[in-house]
Amino acid sequence: MMSMATRAREPSSTNPGGNFWPAQKSSGNSNSAPEEAFSSLLTGIVCDALSNALGRYVLDILASKGLLDDSDNPKEFDRELQSLFGNGASVLERIVVKDLYRKLSIPYDSDARFDYEKSLATAKEVCFVESRLK
Amino acid sequence: MSGGEILSTLLASEVRGDLLILFHKNPGLIDTVDGIARRIGRTTISVISDVRELLQLGLLKQKRIGASEVLFLDRAKDREILESVANHLKTVQIGGSK
Repeated sequence: MMSMATRAREPSSTNPGGNFWPAQKSSGNSNSAPEEAFSSLLTGIVCDALSNALGRYVLDILASKGLLDDSDNPKEFDRELQSLFGNGASVLERIVVKDLYRKLSIPYDSDARFDYEKSLATAKEVCFVESRLK
Repeated sequence: MSGGEILSTLLASEVRGDLLILFHKNPGLIDTVDGIARRIGRTTISVISDVRELLQLGLLKQKRIGASEVLFLDRAKDREILESVANHLKTVQIGGSK
């Protein structure tokens, strides 16, 4: 099985250049490798979700506004998405979580109450367990 | 319809989000409502009102092929819609009003 770190850095089909991915936050901070892998995975999925839902041009604009800088900080990302999309923010967050869960083989229930922060915490935990098992 | 209103219509429900992703990932897709619903893991009845909204917006089109009514993405209209959304988002500040 391909390592999470490697898989996370693969550019997506809709984002072949990977131009929007923020620089790796490795220098000068205490983020562990699994944390960085999860952050990269999440950022890639957020890019895919925005690009697939609203097009590359919209992703371009949102990236230029710095939206992707906080994609691994659920509270801040949620606040920023709300300010841009209003109620549509939760639809985009669901798209992100659905894709993330699919990649991590976590069952996703559309009918369950949705909490972006908690969903990401679950995904992060699974990602960390996976990386420990490798 | 303004860019903001279009954006609200596009992202009004999870089903609509799923439909957007499906058609943007498969822009040449032509299928019945039943087929479209199956592709996003839902029932026909649960997608029908969202499909109608996207038809009304012009993003999707419908035509008859044989005995079936099929849906497909109007690529030109889609471009127009997304451009309008992009122009709207250009004017919105993150974390604040226009």
